[in-house]
Amino acid sequence: MKIQKLLDKLKDILSADRQVQLERYKSLKKVLKSLRAEKKGLEKDLSATDDREEQQEISSRLKVISMQRRKGLKLLRELKEERRRTK
Amino acid sequence: MLRKTFLPAIFLLLAYGFTVSADFKTITAGVAIFLFGMLSLEEGFKTFSAGALEKILKASTNNVAKSMTFGVIATSIMQSSSLVSVITISFLSAGLLELASGIGIIFGANLGTTTGAWLVAGFGLKVNLSAYAMPMLVFGIILVFQRAKSLKGAGYVLAGLGFLFLGIHYMKEGFDSFGQNIDLAQYTMSGYAGVIVFAGIGAAATVVMQSSHAMLILILAALATQQISYENALALAIGSNVGTTVTAIIGSLGASTDGKRLALAHLVFNVVTGILAIAGIYQLMVAVEWISARLGIAADNYTLQLAVFHSLFNLIGIVVMLPALQPLVRFVERLIVSEKVEIERPIYLSGASIEIRDAAVEAVKKESIRLYDLAAGVITDGLSIQRDALETEEKLKYVLKKSTDVIDEDIDDLYERKLKALYGAIVEYVIQSKGGYAKGRMKEELNSFRQAGQHVIEAVKGVKHLRKNLTKSLRSGDPVVRKEYDRLRKLILKILRDIDGVRTADVASRSLLPLDRLKLEIEEKTRQFSEGLDTLIRKEGIDVHTATSLMNDISYCKETCWDLVEAGSVLFSDSDPDDEDAIRSIALDEREIGEMVADEGARGTR
Repeated sequence: MKIQKLLDKLKDILSADRQVQLERYKSLKKVLKSLRAEKKGLEKDLSATDDREEQQEISSRLKVISMQRRKGLKLLRELKEERRRTK
Repeated sequence: MLRKTFLPAIFLLLAYGFTVSADFKTITAGVAIFLFGMLSLEEGFKTFSAGALEKILKASTNNVAKSMTFGVIATSIMQSSSLVSVITISFLSAGLLELASGIGIIFGANLGTTTGAWLVAGFGLKVNLSAYAMPMLVFGIILVFQRAKSLKGAGYVLAGLGFLFLGIHYMKEGFDSFGQNIDLAQYTMSGYAGVIVFAGIGAAATVVMQSSHAMLILILAALATQQISYENALALAIGSNVGTTVTAIIGSLGASTDGKRLALAHLVFNVVTGILAIAGIYQLMVAVEWISARLGIAADNYTLQLAVFHSLFNLIGIVVMLPALQPLVRFVERLIVSEKVEIERPIYLSGASIEIRDAAVEAVKKESIRLYDLAAGVITDGLSIQRDALETEEKLKYVLKKSTDVIDEDIDDLYERKLKALYGAIVEYVIQSKGGYAKGRMKEELNSFRQAGQHVIEAVKGVKHLRKNLTKSLRSGDPVVRKEYDRLRKLILKILRDIDGVRTADVASRSLLPLDRLKLEIEEKTRQFSEGLDTLIRKEGIDVHTATSLMNDISYCKETCWDLVEAGSVLFSDSDPDDEDAIRSIALDEREIGEMVADEGARGTR
């Protein structure tokens, strides 16, 4: 298993295509992580405010972030699948 | 200050003139009708630009010999060099001709006009086109009302000619009282002094009579009754040749720069020809005598000899001026500088930066942001909202309450001069750099800025469409319709402000795709507007025609907002360049946002 992982890493380094795939995967993961943090922050803000207008504003931002995350996670799965296929 | 007082001063002066002299009124009305005819003629020829007329004109004037022949034939048929020159000016103004070809036509027209002398002297014929002015106007205006573009164009041309003749007719009428007082006999003089004086009289009398043909008849009559000497008659003909350019000068008043240049070239040509003829008048007389003898013209037949003289000195003028055609073009171009149309020029796109990768990308980004800022100004103008509303924090409803007057800016002109010109420069720069060395990431970045620019342009186009009905609603004062248009204005203004908010927010507090939430807002609001239309028709009683316009305008409003957001997402993104692709891949598109709102709606109704 360890050897397989090492071989995969070697493939990543040697193949330009796999390198690009890896870069995309990593950056998407990073972006999704940031979105999750943003979402958590907004949820906190939502529970802290009593202002109706602000609540509405935060809710709509949360809706958009959820949708973006859903889209991102789907893309991430596809990238993972692609990487598996090119192994 | 001077500009502000100039027009009222002219109005006052004219009004004073009208009360003092009835002739003055007739003359100025004649000039006004004449100029209106020029405008109409130009409008008509514009319809035919890029069409058959342009092809014919190009084919028949693509070299000097051809354009001169064109001038000779046209003037011989129309029997009016003034008419040919004003039509040539309107061809130039409509962009159908080059200046050099126009000058060639004028040269030819000067020769063509001498056929008039031959006709009058030889056959006693006089072609009087002004009799056709009224029918031309009637037929022309009927054609103007037709739907077909070509018929409409022909109508404008016909009506234009009609107005030209009518204008000339009134000018003549007005000058008539002056004309009647011209007694050539009292000035009889001999020698060069006489030649010069009579040339001056000829020029002045032609200006007054607005016709070199009429002047020619006057000369022939005076010569026949021996009121003047043969020598003085020739001088009058020379002067008349110069005086006739006045019609073209009047015609060029409302024309384009090239039209004015042509009128000047016409004057230069005729003045030079006149000077040459005056300088060599005695040699010319010998030549006329010789030619007349060869043609079998009797030595005492002064009328035909005058026709020979007229043709000869114009021919000499052409022979002398033809080699100087290009210098003449350059001279008039230098003298009448084209009015500089204030076109927005790029600031950041310099030739040097195109060679350096980062500098090129940065330059395109900065220029695109500049384009966005200019567009934001034009959009607020288009919405009839003061530009400072973008910078203040005043509540939108108060801004709209204040913005009740139509801002009378020419949005089409601003779009053409400011935005399209700048966007064109950006596209050109991007194409140049892509054609050269831009590859990979840089190519993508440049492309995305170019697309952002396209979104900016589309946003302005949306407002241009919206403005028509918006202006109507502001002027009509119908509170229901106005309220609806205020909603559209408010949404666009809010989007502009929110984009500015994102732009100025500090990087740490920014979310990843800060403008995506605006997409949701646009979709929700525009759906609300559309759904509210049914109620408006049923309860508020707005007519279906207005409702249809509103429906279209809601769609323009939505497109404008989307375009602004799309442009803003690219231009004001501060994310890590390595993550840019990932961020863009999760940005929500119109379909996804639409589905989101539809899902919400379905949940709400359950």
